[in-house]
Amino acid sequence: MDVTEILKSLTDTFPEVISEATAESEIRTRAYVDRKKAKEVCQYLKDSLQFDHLCSVCGVDYIKRNEFEVVYHIASYDHPVVLALKAKLPRENPQIESIVSVYWNANWYERETYELFGIIFKNHPNLKPLILPEDMLGEWPLRKDYKGFPNKTARNLV
Amino acid sequence: MEEQLEPNEMIIHLGPQHPMQPGPFRLNLRLKGETVVDADIELGFIHKGIEKILENKTYLQGITIVDRICYLVALVNEECFVGCTEKLLGIEPPERSQYIRVILDELTRIQSHLLGMGEFGEFIGFVSMFMYTIREREEVLSLIDMITGARVTHSYLKFGGVRDDLPDGFKEKAIPVLNNLKKSVGDFEEMFHTDRIFRERTVGVGVLTADVAKNLGVSGPVLRATGVPFDIRKNEPYLIYKDLDFRVCTETAGDCFARVQVRLNEIRESIYILEQCLDQLPSGPLFPENTYYGRRTPVMRVPAGEVFHRVEDPRGEMGMYMISDGSDKPYRVKIRGPHYPTLQALPPLIIGTTVADVAAISGSMDGCTSEADR
Amino acid sequence: MGKVKEKKTSKSDEPSEEEIPGVITTTSNAISEFLKKTKAQDLINWGRKNSLWFMVQPMGCCGVEMISMGCAHYDTDRFGIIPRNSPRQADVMLISGYVTKKYLPALKRLWEQMPSPKWVIAIGDCSISGGPFYESYSTVQNIDKIFPIDVFVPGCPPRPEAMLQGFVELQEKIKAKKDIGTEY
Repeated sequence: MDVTEILKSLTDTFPEVISEATAESEIRTRAYVDRKKAKEVCQYLKDSLQFDHLCSVCGVDYIKRNEFEVVYHIASYDHPVVLALKAKLPRENPQIESIVSVYWNANWYERETYELFGIIFKNHPNLKPLILPEDMLGEWPLRKDYKGFPNKTARNLV
Repeated sequence: MEEQLEPNEMIIHLGPQHPMQPGPFRLNLRLKGETVVDADIELGFIHKGIEKILENKTYLQGITIVDRICYLVALVNEECFVGCTEKLLGIEPPERSQYIRVILDELTRIQSHLLGMGEFGEFIGFVSMFMYTIREREEVLSLIDMITGARVTHSYLKFGGVRDDLPDGFKEKAIPVLNNLKKSVGDFEEMFHTDRIFRERTVGVGVLTADVAKNLGVSGPVLRATGVPFDIRKNEPYLIYKDLDFRVCTETAGDCFARVQVRLNEIRESIYILEQCLDQLPSGPLFPENTYYGRRTPVMRVPAGEVFHRVEDPRGEMGMYMISDGSDKPYRVKIRGPHYPTLQALPPLIIGTTVADVAAISGSMDGCTSEADR
Repeated sequence: MGKVKEKKTSKSDEPSEEEIPGVITTTSNAISEFLKKTKAQDLINWGRKNSLWFMVQPMGCCGVEMISMGCAHYDTDRFGIIPRNSPRQADVMLISGYVTKKYLPALKRLWEQMPSPKWVIAIGDCSISGGPFYESYSTVQNIDKIFPIDVFVPGCPPRPEAMLQGFVELQEKIKAKKDIGTEY
């Protein structure tokens, strides 16, 4: 499938949900999606456009614009196009619907984004910390205004 | 897992230090007799916070840090990071550097597969496999040591090229090692096919079908052993892979034996790629012409933008998502390791098997916990 | 042995149990304190230093060099050093790399399970001064305040020959009776 065909089919099916869809090259595209409809777009991508491989789910902290972004990278086993879907969330109350029912391996990615940033994924089967110890929950280390970094307790530094 | 236990059930924790793991993670098993009823994984015992550290270092310092994501395949991690930055900068390394990078990537693939098979043998009790493969691996490591100067963490790649040229007489030293390796791989294959205990422990154990594997999101030799020919070197070629002649190795059975067979075949393909590269190696500059890359540039500002780059790691598909805001430090780097989804797919696979098979299944996935934790 | 008969354990505070005629009671502390001042300690040290068994726990990047050290080209078996999986059967604990906040309680429990005398060798820059991860939010610094470390081996990661040199240094230390581990 061609990149232009994919973008055209996507913008035709969801006219007011997808915005700023651009094709950066023949194998990379990017689009912004409304956060309330992200799950439906993912379901459509998996069923009709053969995007059946979720590469990663990550969060980015744009502190100057006062918002978070959740970025989904979705690829396919058949064609080499990778689509980056982005959803904007407000910084005070970041919540978004979980896509575990569409892609099974989004489970751990969403748990990790929750414990590093504080973004809550609704209807996730098991949202608890994965990598950090239990007593570090609530510190959200990867935000830009985290106080505990850089750590200066090492003693024998030159 | 925490529900009320029935009379003949129990929970055991295969804790952070256990002889059957390549790195610390905790596997909680709920057993009924000898059969596994439920399983759960706890990660994070060697989490270092690399993504946060990279936001405070310049791009050149970042190459040394990215080395240590997975210490067994350090050069492929560097390739991903340097490839991302080169796409943001808009430069491309010249041909000689690309050939040198491919030579190092394939040597890394050979030694990683040898260690993976050896550790799998050690986990199920086949210790002679471990000893033989480690001996062959030392020869390959000495070849890498000849080029880069270190055995494990190299810091050899640079933006636009490589740090130093190949040493003199490298081809004459490499060809006998590769011929010896071809013979050894034949010996290993015969050892696996004729050993009855090994076949009983691996054939038909941990079977994955293609649909289930695609749904679980795995990639690499685990996926290729189920029949899906997914290889980033063929799907979206990077460096000079589009000019080389090799095939994607697949099997159809999907069990532990098939995964070991895929890794053996991939070692043979890597040796074939290396012979082609050593024959076709062109001469030329190491860095792009008329640019300042290659001379000492302590401060380098990267133009703003974002990019997602994928490479083929020995364990699967490795990707990095890098955002730059125009300064000399990256704004956000997200590392997508290849073993993370494979480890997530382990609990559904071991439900219904016995405890002895857990070691075989988790060993055949050939994992590196360090890159799942980062 | 004549002296030990009358010497009561001056360190313990337990009440004297009923005396059974013909039986000498003492604690092992008294015996080992006595033996340290004699020539028999040299023989015991010779036996201990020539068969140091270490516990296999690859933690960080130095873990893979630890595995290489035990195998083909850099054999440790010729020094009497073999890897053991269980902490109950090991003498030496190798801290191979950085220690994270999540792993520290497990490491302390492993240390307590090892029978005395036990020694610690710290491998790599991460246990000396933090290594490349000294500013991370998840690693614990200054390990030598928590464990009694005898030998530090610098490098990132050190070559297997350097780690063998670390073991040889520990052997020299035990022979010269300057190590910390025998006290435990």
